[in-house]
Amino acid sequence: VSEPEQERELEALLELSRRGRAKLERLHEVLTSPGHYGTGATPSTVVYRENKLRLLRLLDESGQPRAGRPAVLFVPAPVSRYFIVDLLPGRSFAGHVAAAGFDVFVIDFGTPTSEDRFADLAYYVDGLVRRSVRVVSRLTGQPAINVVGYCLGGTLSLLYSALYPETVARLVLLTTMVDGDVQGGIAWVAHRMGLEGERYDHPRLVPAAEVKSWFEMLAPGSNSVVGRVSDLWERLDDPAARLRDVRTMATWVDDVVPAPGRLLAELYQKFGPGRNGLMQGTATVGDRMVELAAVRMPVLSVSAEKDLIAPPEGVDAITRVVPHADVLRLPGGHVGIVAGRTATSLWQRTVEFLATSRGGADGA
Amino acid sequence: VTDAKAASDPTLVERWLEDQRQWQKTAMAYLDSMVKNDDFLVHLGNAMRGSLLAGKPYPTAKPEAAPAQEAPADDRLDQVLFALHQMQGQLNDLRLTLEELRNGGKGKSVKARPRKVAARKTSRRSRG
Repeated sequence: VSEPEQERELEALLELSRRGRAKLERLHEVLTSPGHYGTGATPSTVVYRENKLRLLRLLDESGQPRAGRPAVLFVPAPVSRYFIVDLLPGRSFAGHVAAAGFDVFVIDFGTPTSEDRFADLAYYVDGLVRRSVRVVSRLTGQPAINVVGYCLGGTLSLLYSALYPETVARLVLLTTMVDGDVQGGIAWVAHRMGLEGERYDHPRLVPAAEVKSWFEMLAPGSNSVVGRVSDLWERLDDPAARLRDVRTMATWVDDVVPAPGRLLAELYQKFGPGRNGLMQGTATVGDRMVELAAVRMPVLSVSAEKDLIAPPEGVDAITRVVPHADVLRLPGGHVGIVAGRTATSLWQRTVEFLATSRGGADGA
Repeated sequence: VTDAKAASDPTLVERWLEDQRQWQKTAMAYLDSMVKNDDFLVHLGNAMRGSLLAGKPYPTAKPEAAPAQEAPADDRLDQVLFALHQMQGQLNDLRLTLEELRNGGKGKSVKARPRKVAARKTSRRSRG
């Protein structure tokens, strides 16, 4: 090897060393800097607490609630963190709806602990969601409010709306599975990973790692440590500000919470593959039959083309049980349509739907 | 001019030494954060698993913890605690009803029905 060649090789090594060090310095900066990591982006105040639940009311720029505006309640999935609907300044679904002139409330179901393994569908629908609606109604003076449910939160919202239709003015369901027989998605994966073994009578608190493993099964590559580290290492070339955004999203994706075993057992036994209670008209909450025919308020159901968690066919099937529902299928994935870079189209469509005075089974 | 510029440019060895100094600074920054910031080790551990998760360790299944994932044999304490949570909800319902009565009945349409549902939640029966 000639001397110039050797020098070129050493130069290349030096450059490699410099780039690796730059990545590690950026990682250090991100790991030590504050951000909206799991705290929500929009200023809010807690207006109600029950067990682990917090009901947040978003505040305006002057720190005041948007009193006098139509109320909107966001119901996220209880098996993940609430702040996906209020991710970052400028990337907040709830913040966008609030800025459009609504008095926005967000349910944070919190993180279940051991005793919460006994929580069932009735506890969530007839307890936590119903009382949250009740508190919103009391605070705003509005007997019927708008409800926006995401994923499993959409299932709770749909069941609630069927049981208490007079309290819901408009219903928005985001990536909410209705047809449990459609193959794919989290219900099928959970079924294959042993959800059938969850017991209603003797439930356990399903560990977060186990719930996460179901989601990982749906996203090839994310269940490999080597793959994840490699992805992160590539990402460390991004500017620190961008990495802070990535970190907020990662905090949502990776911070799956433990799940009440009784709730999962009940969901599986009533709505899972082969049972399909919502489509069969056999769904119950507690001892009450759920009549989806009672859902006569305007309904918007949104599916995502590339949704691996709630396949769009299983979401759009709502038109077979709630025929007047508006169905919208957007490009993107389960999380992307709600909080991704192109999520503004969903936010805008939601605002338009909430603001219009038409729709509903009675054409009201 | 060219000779003067070449003379002022650091040599390969000088740049390599500077790179080593920078590596030491980077390593010291990490060590400093490990000592001063309790959360940093958790966050660094997450990053070593490929995650930027903040605030808590990345959820991983621990083989030795597997037996603990089973439902506890005696779950009476948890049943009592959960029943207390349910009672808290029922008391909140009563409080809301009282407030509605004081305010002339506004929002009364969101009351639970039937009220006996809550009492049945702890019953032990199969839902299969």
